Formats: sequence, C-alpha cells, structure tokens
Amino acid sequence: MRIKTSYPSWFHKVLTTSLLTGLYCQSLFAATPVIELNIKDHLFYPAEIVIPVDTKVKLLINNLDATPEEFESYEMNREKVISGNSKTVIFIGPLGAGEYPFFGEFNPRTAQGKVLVK
Amino acid sequence: MLLNSVILVLQETLEATLLISVLLTISHLHWQKHAWVIYALVGGLALSVLYARQMVNISEWFDYVGQEIVNALLQIIITLLICFSIWAFLKNRRMNFILKSSINNYYTRAFIYCAAITVALSIMREGSEIFLYLSGFFHQDEYIQSVMIGSLVGFGIGISMGVLLFYGLLFLPTKWRLRGPLILLALFAGNMLSQATLQLNQADWAPSTPMLWDSSAWIPENSIAGQLLYALIGYEATPSALQVFSYIFGVTLALIFAVVGNKPSDKDPELLQINPE
Repeated sequence: MRIKTSYPSWFHKVLTTSLLTGLYCQSLFAATPVIELNIKDHLFYPAEIVIPVDTKVKLLINNLDATPEEFESYEMNREKVISGNSKTVIFIGPLGAGEYPFFGEFNPRTAQGKVLVK
Repeated sequence: MLLNSVILVLQETLEATLLISVLLTISHLHWQKHAWVIYALVGGLALSVLYARQMVNISEWFDYVGQEIVNALLQIIITLLICFSIWAFLKNRRMNFILKSSINNYYTRAFIYCAAITVALSIMREGSEIFLYLSGFFHQDEYIQSVMIGSLVGFGIGISMGVLLFYGLLFLPTKWRLRGPLILLALFAGNMLSQATLQLNQADWAPSTPMLWDSSAWIPENSIAGQLLYALIGYEATPSALQVFSYIFGVTLALIFAVVGNKPSDKDPELLQINPE
C-alpha cells in the first residue's frame, strides 16, 4: 500500500541537497583557529594573544603546573577550572576590536593576560 | 592570598546560600520543616568532592568540553526543579486553603524533595570549585594558613548574607511574604538557564550571539554590587542575546508553573473525595 504523504515528491531531494550543502559549507568555515596557551608557575604564556575581529577562536590551554587554575574573564564571560597537569579547551569570540583581559582566579596576582582583537 | 581566598570562596558560596535561604524561608513559613537542608548540605558536599575528584576525567569528555556540558546539564536540572518546587508549593497552598487545614500532603513532600535536590546540585557545582582551589594549596605550607583563614572568612560572609536574606524574607509585609520568595525563585530559574546557555556557548554547543548591552561602566561585574546582583538575580554586565533570551525564558517557565500550580483543579482526587461539588 502506498502511504500518502502531505509533502511533494521533490521534498526529499531538496532536503538532502540543502543538508549536504550545509554540511559542506560548515566544513569550509569550521576551520576555527586554534591558539595555544600555557600555564606555568601561575603565569600565562603567552600573556597576550592576538586574534582577528569577529572570529571564533578555540583556546587550547595547557596547565603545566601541578596545581589547578581557573581561567576567568568578565569581559569575555568565560570561566573554567583547569586541573593541575591537564589540558582543556575554551571557545572565545566572535569579538569586536579591543582588549579583553583574562586572569587565573586561583592566582589572580600573577596569572594575568589579555586577548587583543584586531 | 588571604584576600583572594576570601573573595573566591565568597563568590562560590553566595549563590548556593541565597538559594538555600529562599527555599528554607518557604519551608519554614508554611510547614516549619528544616531538616531537609541538613540532608541537602551533606549530599551536596559529598557530590562536590566526587565532582572535584573526577574533574580531570570529566573535562576530557566531548573533546575537552565535558565540564561545560555537565555544568549546563546541572543548571538545566536546577531550573526545572525550581519550577517544580514553585508548582508543588502553590498546589499545596491551594489544597490547604480549600481544606482549611495545614496538613502536609504529597505536594509538601514534592516541594521538599525538589528543594533538597536543587540545593545539593548547586552545592555540588560551586563546592567542587572551592575543593579544587583548596587542593592546590595542600602542599604549599607557606600559604595554607592564610588560604584556610581567608576561605573561612569568605564562607562566613556568604552564610551571613544567606541568614540576612532569610530573616529579610521572613519579615516582609504579609502581602509580599508569599510573593517575595516566589519572585526570587523565578529569577533564580532564569539565572540558571542563562548560565547554562553561556556554558554551552563556551563549549561551542550553542551559537554565539551579539552582546545586547554593556553596563560594566555603571556596575562592573567584579564589584561588590555586581557580585551580589550576580548571585541574587544573575546580573551580567555584557550579556549576549542568547543569555538574555534564556533568562527571560527561564523566568517565564517558572511563572507558567506558578500559574498552573495556582489554578483551581476539580480533577484532584483528594479534593473530590472531600469536596464532592
């Protein structure tokens, strides 16, 4: 028995084509830039990161200390605990041009840095 | 080090203590029930130690964004539990009003369970950060003393704020004694949902949306007022459109649960037995 459907027969083709196109486009634009950031002796290396305007960036943070740290930025609305001797990922942006400070909340006096968006 | 630990522990404690105060106000005013807080505290502390100890593994889930996903999930569960507790409270109140009694029915139990799990989960999330923070100093003898003293002071201030809110809510004018805590709970629900979307955005699981406003010049987020407002009503100086949307959505959801809980219902079996009309 043929099941009647309420949508036209070309619907599947359009759906599949648009999905595939969407996936392809996503793979083209999904090349999110990765920037590495190290934490060593409660300091950020590099302490200054330059990223392009209106671009999402993947921060790959390596905590080389044995003690945990918390990446925190009020300006970027970011907050994440990073255990000792471990790595983690934080996505930031897209951001407008300017300076966005961040700090290590567990050691705020030393662990300071900023993201420069140009 | 001393001041840092005061601030950090205070920040992490404040949200949970204020939430406990509001829920405790309701259970104290209407049923004189308090024991659930103890269970919730103990359970929450145990969960937070467990969460802190597993943080290394959890962080690696989903391509290193496990922490965000688990936190977002916890916050979504807390949002729903807050909504359900509002519903259960109002249901209970209606039933007692009709029956002209103040018996504890299953809505009371539902409220207590929701409240206890809400508190335990919020302690789990905030407490685990404190545990991780303190664990970093266990092997640094030069700092351990000042960090412990600072943490205790921060913890003490956080508890005091909660006690202050508790008595503040108890001594509200009669008209607001019911509404006050419920409004705060609805705002908590919005706050939790907005924080959940922020976590998902940080993990790249939710889209980035433009910033809606920048009030950091008036009330900076790291000022005392900013931190207090953040804990109480979820203040953000630079919120994104998605955050504001989810905040409004959370508050609306809580209000819908309140309206449904307050609605007269003739289908209620207990009421039908006693009030056959």
